[in-house]
Amino acid sequence: MATRRGRGRSWLIYGGLGLWATVSSFPFAWMLLSSFMTRGETLRRVFVPEKVQWANYVQAWKEADFGLYFENSVLIAAMQVGGTLLFSLLAAYPLARMEFRGRNAVFACILATLMIPESVTMVPNFLTVTWLHRSSPFAWLNSWPALTVPFLANAFSIFLLRQFLRGLPGELWDAARIDGAGHFRFLFGILLPLCKAPLLTVGMFTFIGSWNALAWPLLVTNSPNWRPISVGLQQFVSEAGAEVHLQMAGAVIATVPVLLIYFLIQKEFTEGISMSGLKG
Amino acid sequence: MDNRTKDTLIAWSFLAPALAVLAGFGIFPIGYAFYVSLHQWRIRKGEYIGFDHYLRALGEPGFLVWFIAGLVLLWCACRVYRSLRDRQGGGYLPILIAAGLGLPALWLSLDQGLGGLLETGDHRLYNGLKITLFYALGTIPIQLGISMLLAYLLFKSLRAKGVFRILLFLPYVTPVIASAVVFRTIFSPHPSSVANRFWALLGFENCRWLYESKSVVGLFLRALDISTYPAWVDSCFPSLALVSIVLYNIWVYIGYDTVILLAGLSAIPRHYYEAAEIDGASPWQVFRNITLPLVSPTLFFLSMVAVIGTFKAFNHIYIMRTPGARDSVDVLSIAIFDLIFEFHNAGYAAAMAFVLFIAILALTLVQNRVLGKRVFYGD
Repeated sequence: MATRRGRGRSWLIYGGLGLWATVSSFPFAWMLLSSFMTRGETLRRVFVPEKVQWANYVQAWKEADFGLYFENSVLIAAMQVGGTLLFSLLAAYPLARMEFRGRNAVFACILATLMIPESVTMVPNFLTVTWLHRSSPFAWLNSWPALTVPFLANAFSIFLLRQFLRGLPGELWDAARIDGAGHFRFLFGILLPLCKAPLLTVGMFTFIGSWNALAWPLLVTNSPNWRPISVGLQQFVSEAGAEVHLQMAGAVIATVPVLLIYFLIQKEFTEGISMSGLKG
Repeated sequence: MDNRTKDTLIAWSFLAPALAVLAGFGIFPIGYAFYVSLHQWRIRKGEYIGFDHYLRALGEPGFLVWFIAGLVLLWCACRVYRSLRDRQGGGYLPILIAAGLGLPALWLSLDQGLGGLLETGDHRLYNGLKITLFYALGTIPIQLGISMLLAYLLFKSLRAKGVFRILLFLPYVTPVIASAVVFRTIFSPHPSSVANRFWALLGFENCRWLYESKSVVGLFLRALDISTYPAWVDSCFPSLALVSIVLYNIWVYIGYDTVILLAGLSAIPRHYYEAAEIDGASPWQVFRNITLPLVSPTLFFLSMVAVIGTFKAFNHIYIMRTPGARDSVDVLSIAIFDLIFEFHNAGYAAAMAFVLFIAILALTLVQNRVLGKRVFYGD
């Protein structure tokens, strides 16, 4: 009896999970399959292309100037991820492991910025960057500073790293002090190697955020020189009209790097994310 | 220099770079938005015009006073009801008194206040807020419900946990631009689109999906051959285009919610379940009295993230909006972006942004008070 009931339940469990796994991966299959179709096949009611059309990718890459946009996106993401990791770790350390006046107030202020959506800050930040562009010796608009500097630190990253650093044992610091290490050497020599999972999580989130950015790059750039792939794809899609197979090839090109990195670090990433929802 | 001062100095110098960025681009812009909104401001600053932008956006101040007065009165009615109930312990009298106070307050606030504001204010602002509301009500409960179920199933499953977790999480890590482009073709009005093929499989006629500005209820009535229905049916329910975008949003965020809820479920100590089993509790009782209260902090966290996410929604709506259905999907963030990107009207855009900020602030406070009380933080 018990085993039959158990088997019925496991059918239910795997049926439910399988159903949603299908729903969540179907659009990927559709994207991939359509990207290999001919134009005629996308208009007819077929699901699988007769012959794989690799040429779609070459055509999309050339028509949309994806090479340049791709390079821009990688550069912007690298700067944002590097800066965010460094600045957030530096900020999280005193908040988690040092005693000083005003610590809780600063932390509350940092958390408060989580509540403010980009649509509120977008307009004033655009004016700030325009002002910086006019009054500083180097260009901000149409260049990397406008695209990266406002995103070099964010509350979520600081919060996540602080939570993790707080969880590490206190004896580490005592041991380091006996060896004569200061805060700086302690953070980068001893704590840093222990922070692999949260740093990968923060890095991945920053990378996704930077790869996704659309409104801000549209505002602060007006030539392809520094425009990221999100803008490139958006413009390609609004221009190409009905060419579904080329749009899908473009979407695959924009997706591959993110998914590649995700598969490489997915274990640490899911771990780090799970941590963000717990209190503490 | 003693050790304490040195430590404080080190702490602040560690914090300095991050604080500079957050202060300059996260907190300063709120004050700056208010300053800009008081001026005529295109590319450069123009003349000072006071609250003109707010009058244009919100409508006649008289109606605003009615609206707020009505809300305050409604709040008072709730307080009166509660104190009477506590003192008298039930009965009809508190309900009668509260209704006598509350219903006129509701009428004052909605009919006199909001009605007038809608007529005299900026359509983009109120329409944007209305669509944001539809969007939040359409996504959050369904998203959390399905995620709760999936997290429970994942928690119970013994094999292939990792594989399912990766598959569920894929939509969340995929670049929004790419997946929104894919959903744009899935919900295209062309008969060969995935949505229409699925619809045909179920025996329905082709729909215009992202191009459809009529409300889903209106479309349903039409399908029943009722073609003359009052106009409010189309304005009080979300359009099919918005529903398509809501479905996309649910698809994206379920994986994230599930992973976080799974962590919440795994953190519940086993002995609660063992005790319930000994007492012979039914699965529903276990869920209602153990699981739900103990994951309620996680659910609260996710609902806060989802509400903020609703106000942040931009990229996918920008990609999926179509010329015919713009008016029925443009949330406030899109309207603000258009004002600065297409019309270069920074002063007015800043005023809209500031109104949005106040709305979020009010909503967060209310959510904290109403939902925060029901959250169980353990013993």
